[in-house]
Amino acid sequence: MRPAGAQPEITIREFIEQAPEKLELRTLAGRRGLDDRRITIARIQKLGLALAGFTHYIHPGRVQIVGQSEIWYLGQLSPDQRREAIARLELGRIACVLVTKGLEPPAEFIIAAEQAGLPLLQTPLVSSTAIQLVTDFLQAALAPREVRHGVLLDVYGLGVLLEGPSGVGKSECALDLIARGHRLVSDDSVEVRRTGPERLIGCAPKLLREHMEIRGLGIINIRDLFGVSAISGPKEVDLVIRLERWNEACEVDRLGVDARTTEILGVNIPLVILPVSPGRTLSILVETAVRIHLLRERGYNAAQRFVRRHAELVREADGGDEQAGE
Amino acid sequence: MVERRVTVKNRLGLHARAAAQLVRTASEFQSIVRLERADGSAAADAKSILSVLMLAACCGTELRIMADGVDEERAISALEALFQTGFGESDPQV
Repeated sequence: MRPAGAQPEITIREFIEQAPEKLELRTLAGRRGLDDRRITIARIQKLGLALAGFTHYIHPGRVQIVGQSEIWYLGQLSPDQRREAIARLELGRIACVLVTKGLEPPAEFIIAAEQAGLPLLQTPLVSSTAIQLVTDFLQAALAPREVRHGVLLDVYGLGVLLEGPSGVGKSECALDLIARGHRLVSDDSVEVRRTGPERLIGCAPKLLREHMEIRGLGIINIRDLFGVSAISGPKEVDLVIRLERWNEACEVDRLGVDARTTEILGVNIPLVILPVSPGRTLSILVETAVRIHLLRERGYNAAQRFVRRHAELVREADGGDEQAGE
Repeated sequence: MVERRVTVKNRLGLHARAAAQLVRTASEFQSIVRLERADGSAAADAKSILSVLMLAACCGTELRIMADGVDEERAISALEALFQTGFGESDPQV
């Protein structure tokens, strides 16, 4: 279920290949370092202060941006001063440098980058736009991730992750839900990424997209069978429904008053445990669980209301008895 | 839990039919059976065909089989035998 959860990182070559085309990245120097230098942090840094001598805060895993002000600053230095300023950066430990606005870095910089094997990239975009695109791209690319065994569906617009042991009927339940008009995101394996502090996005691994496996039918293509509206792209994970075999389901909720959660990548997601047994129509149970969740999100909790009503009834009965006793 | 290391010997790797045979065998046991690439880059539930196919294991790939449950020894031996016999293919090795 969980591949080795090493800290996500990408090489500079992957960055160049996968980054938005709008950046039109060009490599000016340091091709040698494309495969062994890695970006580990989504936030960028600007080299300004470091060029002026304050190099303490250079973070090796970030993209270093060089814009108009850095180029001007270097331009008004003497060639010796320039060489010295560039040497102080210790180019050997920086992931990569991105020059914006199509500016030409001074020859000393290009030579130093080539010597150090530091990828020196260039984009025609101005710094503000480039920084936004780079940060957005890196945030998605470096988001913590994990592969979950389960089925992700869009049910009434809510991202529902069905989990449970193999053979419990996840795919059959999902197929039933698709036939009832809901949409498939991914069957069997779901790639989950944490794109924000409280936000999980699930999507299908490339190979599995649009496909399901149903015992007895084999591998089927949902878009071919049910049409394009039966599948969905990446979807936020809002609710986890865990299917358990009846005899193994120890903590079955009989009231539905307490809200349960399960943790995925450090985010708490509401959890419903559904025991499975012959005669229980799972798809309708899932639909109902989603309706309950939708109501609760809007502040309406039927189980709590019922419990309150019952408490009132008990109180009244208690009061009535006292009166009768007097 | 028991664990064994195996190598994919089939010329075409752990292809669809071999994967199906593996899943059928794994499903005969009660134990939870998992497959993992030896380098830890991917893992699969051995009872799920899509999950096993996602490993994209080619000939020569080293895998770890892990079984956990009442019949774990029998499960792991059965799966190991499949890998060793190249899933019954006539030309397992190139």
